[in-house]
Amino acid sequence: MTDLATMEFHPRPQAGEPKPWAFPAPERGALDNGLTVLRCHRPGQQVVAVEVLLDAPLDAEPAGLDGVATIMARAFAEGTDKHSAEDFAAELERCGATLDMHADHPGVRVSLEVPASRLPKALGLLADALRAPAFAEDEVSRLVRNRLDEIPHELANPARRAAKELYKELFPANSRMARPRQGTEETVEKIDAAAVRAFYDRHVRPATSTAVVVGDLTGVDLDALLAETLGAWKGSPAAPRPVPAVSSDDTGRVVIVDRPGSVQTQLLIGRTGPDRHDRVWPAQVLGTYCLGGTLTSRLDKVLREEKGYTYGVRAFGQVLRSAPDGSGAALLAVSGSVDTPNTGPALQDLWQVLRTLAEGGLTDAERDTAVQNLVGVAPLKYETAAAVAGTLADQVEQHLPDDFQATLYQQLVATGTVEATAAVVNAFPVDRLVTVLVGDAAQIAGPVRELGIGEVTVVSAE
Amino acid sequence: MPMGHTATAEAGSGGLTATEHRLANGLRVVLSEDHLTPVAAVCLWYDVGSRHEVQGRTGLAHLFEHLMFQGSAQVKGNGHFELVQGAGGSLNGTTSFERTNYFETMPAHQLELALWLEADRMGSLLTALDDESMENQRDVVKNERRQRYDNVPYGTAFEKIFALAYPEGHPYHHTPIGSMADLDAATLEDARAFFRTYYAPNNAVLSVVGDIDPEQTLAWIEKYFGSIASHDGKPAPRDGALPEVIGGEIREVVREEVPARALMAGYRLPEDGTRACDAADVALTILGYGESSRLYNRLVRRDRTAVTAGFGLLRLAGAPSLGWLDVKTSGDVEVPVIEAAVDEELARLAAEGPTAEEMERAQAQLEREWLDRLGTVSGRADELCRYAVLFGDPQLALTAVERVLEVTAEEVQEVAKNRLRPDNRAVLVYEPITPEGADADGDEDEEEEAK
Repeated sequence: MTDLATMEFHPRPQAGEPKPWAFPAPERGALDNGLTVLRCHRPGQQVVAVEVLLDAPLDAEPAGLDGVATIMARAFAEGTDKHSAEDFAAELERCGATLDMHADHPGVRVSLEVPASRLPKALGLLADALRAPAFAEDEVSRLVRNRLDEIPHELANPARRAAKELYKELFPANSRMARPRQGTEETVEKIDAAAVRAFYDRHVRPATSTAVVVGDLTGVDLDALLAETLGAWKGSPAAPRPVPAVSSDDTGRVVIVDRPGSVQTQLLIGRTGPDRHDRVWPAQVLGTYCLGGTLTSRLDKVLREEKGYTYGVRAFGQVLRSAPDGSGAALLAVSGSVDTPNTGPALQDLWQVLRTLAEGGLTDAERDTAVQNLVGVAPLKYETAAAVAGTLADQVEQHLPDDFQATLYQQLVATGTVEATAAVVNAFPVDRLVTVLVGDAAQIAGPVRELGIGEVTVVSAE
Repeated sequence: MPMGHTATAEAGSGGLTATEHRLANGLRVVLSEDHLTPVAAVCLWYDVGSRHEVQGRTGLAHLFEHLMFQGSAQVKGNGHFELVQGAGGSLNGTTSFERTNYFETMPAHQLELALWLEADRMGSLLTALDDESMENQRDVVKNERRQRYDNVPYGTAFEKIFALAYPEGHPYHHTPIGSMADLDAATLEDARAFFRTYYAPNNAVLSVVGDIDPEQTLAWIEKYFGSIASHDGKPAPRDGALPEVIGGEIREVVREEVPARALMAGYRLPEDGTRACDAADVALTILGYGESSRLYNRLVRRDRTAVTAGFGLLRLAGAPSLGWLDVKTSGDVEVPVIEAAVDEELARLAAEGPTAEEMERAQAQLEREWLDRLGTVSGRADELCRYAVLFGDPQLALTAVERVLEVTAEEVQEVAKNRLRPDNRAVLVYEPITPEGADADGDEDEEEEAK
């Protein structure tokens, strides 16, 4: 009785007049050394983001040296012709800057974030790292040792372990994508300074690289600054490299990575599908959001909010690698973790959600909410310079036009319920999904076999 | 608001202002205009966290936070999420030791909806709260605990350190996630009582930041929140005061199936809101933040005995803050080797103090973190609430970076000397066991078990 609220209630308010917002258009240019530059002024964003893309993809790594791109990327921050490794890190941090390096299938990304007032100095350090990395033997061997130490930590993490297994299952054994991005113990221990230097000499040069600069550039003479920093980087011209085709085997099957004693089972259920070059992309984004984009999407409505089997399960599409001719691919997947005793029931429900979706399709209301969210959150999502720079760099890396994201928002608005349904049903066909479960095989293998979602194999976690 | 002689003198708080208001029912309101992007952040801090929980009901504040998303008088089921996301907004809630926060970031023209939603649950949650939500969210939270803590290597280190560093019965002895047993024991009546006790307008601060019309915003806040009754009767949290130093090392060895040995430690440090706490922040940054810190240079670069080495500050206002050391060993290196090196580095900072260059580096890093935090409307809204709830003055958020930049080398040395000592820490050592050596049941703490 005491719970009757005494407040004065008002009807739910209506939205005001929306204010225009558009994904920023970058200005595109090139330096004399061939480096492509995209710049974008974002008033008020005092922390400037710089993304540099190097055309040094993982498939360029020499046979048996998986991980050399990763070690090279990390070694950029370990000393130059002007600074020792320790001094370089100190100088960078003196600018209040962060520098992150990441080697992935499309290439190497180097990301700098720094307060605008210290951009000149930090950009100078970044340019030194790319132009004249020291690759000292002692530092490289330390990075190799460090990388080897990281591997057991990754294998012990259920989500990382699941990803490793899914890639191994999906892609042919001779494909670079089948193997861990940062290498295995066997390949990493073979990497030395000479191998890193050789990889750098062969694949890193300004003519095949792009720099994206985003932030509040008020009072910054960016042309002059770029000319004296990244402009000093020299290298031979080079033709763009061909992108190998991506093939995968999505025969429906289940692999259990045995992790005895696990209180939860990590799920990663996926296959490959169209990337951003495909006309279906906007509909696929929309449909995938309706399936598993948030806790009110179809999967979590059942698995979390009705059954309580999980803290959350998400469906997503993540581009693996794109090619100018549109032959690239994205990983389409569902991931999350469910408690061990409910692993069978949770998978049964998950498959039922997919079947129901295929049979009945999405509703117009679901589609509308998804569009409103995906389009409406754009100004929030792109508030920071780093977010804008990241997307602009993704576009370059995926051979997309600079206005791709801006156009995508218009396409989402124009995508109907029927198209979104077709796209998500095609993306997640119930009989063509590879399911990886990292969990206690003794407890989950039996119930999972009974589901009939594909042949079940159990492998050890090591 | 100039910040002295640093390189980003105008950047940190320049141009940022905030105004304060109070409704008749006691709700404190902070508004901050920023028209650069057409977005508005709404942030609501309730002055209740896990430190207010009683024995046998750990995790209740956090479980309750989940229930706040299960509907209220005019919002059905998951409507809060659906309406905000359908309006192009993003949202969430989090629970810590000292507060529970709820936030929505909206396209500016949808601001009124977020205010209406927050008011509806503040004023009428209990009309919708039922057993079904309670049972469901209990399961969700237990799965959250499994996913984030129980099923990952070193996942329970955080709660073990707190249990060691803050004595039995202390309000910070347990962490916000709570224990499985207590989560099982919580009843619907507990949740109702929790709401009646802590969820009142006079126990909350609401901030709205971004592309807003302050007058209109205040009128909406008055309209939606103004009729919610205030109520008193909130018990004061148990006293969190403790002596400045622990007075002797506390140590626990955990034998678990983890990938590598680890040395972790919690140091008792000055309370948030004090100058000494800012000095501790600078000290820990010099010692263990980034790749030019003393511990990184020593353990990862030179000795090559560690794969990672870091030292971070968990600021707490109602009890001593915690400095958290986390080192994972490289290869077969034994923990005593790491520990001796850490002790040496800490003693050296206490004896010699930081160099001018180290001060510059640490302060530049901390300054950038502040720029990041204040660079988004949601980050700014959260900080305004934080300073209003914990220290009674939201304006302090806008000058926080200045205070960090004012810290001197002498103050850093002082805090290192007084606090970063072996007799002022709780140490947690991880020794891996092989799966074969593991307890057949595979659950619970195996700290006492032989290899």
